[in-house]
Amino acid sequence: MKMLLTGFDLLLALTLLWLAWQLLRSTDIFKAIIFFICFGLLMSLAWVRMHAPDVALAEAAIGTGLTGPLFLAALRRIERKAGKNMMSEPAGNGEETGSRWKARNREMSPLLWTVTALTCCLAGLLIWTVLIIPRPLPGLADQVAGSLAESGVNNPVTAVLLNFRGYDTLLEVMVLLLGAITVWSITHAPFPPRVPDTSPVQKAAVRLLLPLICLIGGYLVWQGAYQTGGAFQGGAVLSAALVLLLISDFLWLPGMRSLPLRLGLTLGPLVFVLLAGFGILVEKTLLRLPVEYAGPLLLFLEAACGLSIGLTLAAFFAGGRPASDLRETPYSGEAKGKGPAES
Amino acid sequence: MTTILYSVTGLLLFVFGLFALIVCPHPLRKILGGNVMSAGIFLFLVAASYRADTGEIDAVPQAMVLTGIVVSVCITAVALVLSTRLQQAADQGARRRRKRRREEDAGE
Amino acid sequence: MAFADSWIVVPVFAPLTAALLAFLVRRASFFISLAAACLSLLAVAVLVNRFLVNGPAAYAVGGWDPPLGICLRTDGPALIMLVLTAVAGVGISLYAKGYFTLRIERPSRVGRPERQERFFWPLWMLQLTGLNGLYLSGDIFNLYVTLEVIGVSAAALAALSGKSASLIAALRYLLVSLLGSMSYLLGVVFVYKTYGVLDLGLLQAAAAPAPGVIAAMALMSVGLLLKTAIFPMHFWLPPAHANALAPVSAILSGLVVKGSFFLLFRLWFDIFSPVLPAAAFNLMGSLGAGAIIWGGVQVLRQQRLKLLIAYSTVSQLGYLVIAFPLAFAGGSSQAWSAVLFMASGHACAKIAMFMSAGTIMLHAGHDRIRDLAGIRAYLPVTAFAYAAAGVNLIGLPPSGGFIAKWMLLITALAGHQWLWAVVLLAGSFLATAYVFRVVAQLFVIPPDKPVITRRRAGLLEWPALIMALLSLLLGLMAPYPLRLLEAGQIVRTAMTMGGGP
Repeated sequence: MKMLLTGFDLLLALTLLWLAWQLLRSTDIFKAIIFFICFGLLMSLAWVRMHAPDVALAEAAIGTGLTGPLFLAALRRIERKAGKNMMSEPAGNGEETGSRWKARNREMSPLLWTVTALTCCLAGLLIWTVLIIPRPLPGLADQVAGSLAESGVNNPVTAVLLNFRGYDTLLEVMVLLLGAITVWSITHAPFPPRVPDTSPVQKAAVRLLLPLICLIGGYLVWQGAYQTGGAFQGGAVLSAALVLLLISDFLWLPGMRSLPLRLGLTLGPLVFVLLAGFGILVEKTLLRLPVEYAGPLLLFLEAACGLSIGLTLAAFFAGGRPASDLRETPYSGEAKGKGPAES
Repeated sequence: MTTILYSVTGLLLFVFGLFALIVCPHPLRKILGGNVMSAGIFLFLVAASYRADTGEIDAVPQAMVLTGIVVSVCITAVALVLSTRLQQAADQGARRRRKRRREEDAGE
Repeated sequence: MAFADSWIVVPVFAPLTAALLAFLVRRASFFISLAAACLSLLAVAVLVNRFLVNGPAAYAVGGWDPPLGICLRTDGPALIMLVLTAVAGVGISLYAKGYFTLRIERPSRVGRPERQERFFWPLWMLQLTGLNGLYLSGDIFNLYVTLEVIGVSAAALAALSGKSASLIAALRYLLVSLLGSMSYLLGVVFVYKTYGVLDLGLLQAAAAPAPGVIAAMALMSVGLLLKTAIFPMHFWLPPAHANALAPVSAILSGLVVKGSFFLLFRLWFDIFSPVLPAAAFNLMGSLGAGAIIWGGVQVLRQQRLKLLIAYSTVSQLGYLVIAFPLAFAGGSSQAWSAVLFMASGHACAKIAMFMSAGTIMLHAGHDRIRDLAGIRAYLPVTAFAYAAAGVNLIGLPPSGGFIAKWMLLITALAGHQWLWAVVLLAGSFLATAYVFRVVAQLFVIPPDKPVITRRRAGLLEWPALIMALLSLLLGLMAPYPLRLLEAGQIVRTAMTMGGGP
């Protein structure tokens, strides 16, 4: 049995390396993205092997389930534009069009060799360091186990994430919101994309799937207190539902107002900040939770964060702010309501 | 044994990603490289917390990895939107230049 | 834990809450942000006061002591950076208001300035959150998260102008910052594998030569040097800083690079100083020397004002790392006090310069140095602010730059490190050349040529002047920051680091 597992580990490690190599050197970006998705799925397997089911779930849902479609959507947007251009643009004027990223690295091969040699050295040094670090490696497992009873949850990962290192998680939720604000600041969402082939079957399937997905997301959030799951995994599942809605061209989506969306995006961080302030008021310490109420408070926090995370991830996929966002311009007088006005 | 195996795999993934991030010209490939890099780091981090002999796990690295995954998705999304927007801006620039050229041609 | 101890969280939570509210309630976003900046300033004043009475403070967030929880700490260096950030925060907020108001009155493209202003405030507040969080944080992984907050918001701010050049620069900035934080994170992993803790205080107590720690320091240092744009990893800085909006350039050049530098400083001098070999310090010094000379020569070649200022940042950042070997060999606190002086003086001066450049660009419509003659007649306050900030870059008394360079030079001469002394002097000559090249243009008025139409905007001119005067008069105020540093040092040597309060 042990032999078998070791063999499995070896196979998994080699496959991971092979996939990574393939995805970085294949000439076709589309293929590379597909390799990346496979890579992510195998990574989840590796997490399971290392007894990290929470990470496995997050990797499958966020790392692959969402990042893969993000890449595919971006590729489609870039190539669609580039393709149109290459058809109308005469050849030889390539640096401004879609091919601006391609070619151009043939002549820098001495530099390439230097970089290759340097990275090989780096790999060697790092691996050598790992091999000589004395074992067993120290860690914080005992401290976590010792304080788990006071944290209000049974899952040690959730306890670390939301209670012991809750400040980290608050900043991390802020990073997510920051990402959403950034995406909104860069461009308008290219929706509605006028997909002509949203078939009635697809729409019906989405209608059926949607409640189910939401249910699973909610269950994952709720379950986070006891076993594998939590706000991030649940939020990612929720975002899958929203992504399905986006690509199925539901009519009410393009007209989505900005304010409710912003409220949803900031709900999780706001609840987190309120909880932090509550800690100062009641326990005189930031983010400190009264032991007897810690469980319910954390569940409430997880629900709010899960909702916001789901919305944020969906906003990443949409790739921009809603169309209505520039219309409520408070300043400029006559030019209001002309929609996307910049460049 | 398992720990070392996954640690080394993680480090190699980090180096692969680093190489791609530095060398590849296409932004999507660079971003893919960044993702492989972070996956390598996370693998390396969690491999430490796993002890095959006792079966005991350390939750702190796992929580760190969860944080890291979310942060890296966020950066990926921002970088992807930036590169899409960049392509769009380049296209508009090309279109404007073409239009100007056509007008100049007509003027002559 | 007493109620008043919680002042330490205000510099992080005030801008954080403000960012949320500014994103939600856009009409009031300026007032929300200004209130948060003022509140942070107040909180930092309280913290300084408490520090002078009680010494360094540690605050266990959530009541969980390290190693399990995260600790926020204040000490001398952190407080100096916090004061700097808080003052600059108020100044930049006021300037940005003036800048956007003027842009919206005369838009070059309808809707664009509105979009920029709308997203500027939450992003700027998040940037402030990240910076304050970084200065206060006492946990090596929490520092990674704050680095990411800083990196993403900086790239977002750099992309805000929406022009193609700034988008390219922002994408490159984002990727570089990703590379830097990945390298830092791998270093953190090595630290955790070696010591099994993440708290800086515990790490300082535990720091002993071990195989993992050299790898960790190398990885973290490279990552942070990349983020700080120290030569030869500076390639991304000039385009990103020069193509951004004026208030954003001020933020990026004045504050953001100081954040990652401060972390580098803390790791090298506070936490892991016993385990580092002398050669590492000399290597840092030579990077600094390269930055001063190469950056200085590049500055002289620039034709556009904002690019010139951006390259001068590359050059001036060299002074920050050239102090590493001096501080190591000198063994005194003088060289590292000089580093903090240099950082704060440069921050104020650079903010003032980018603000002035932005004002000039708004009024003249361009920033070609050749055609800027006679701006003084129309924007006297701005021209004076630029010149005063220039005095700091050159290092003439009584500026903060003078004090810093003087301390560095004394340390170098006392330790017979002539080479570093020569580089320091050469850097000052180069700075003199590039400052006077612009100042001469601004102040000489050609008799026949009215350059621009007359426009005034108080919010654009006065914040720049105040920042410039701060950098100029920092030398006169030197005793106060020095007192902070010395108070920190006495306690530092007496303190046995145990973590929690």
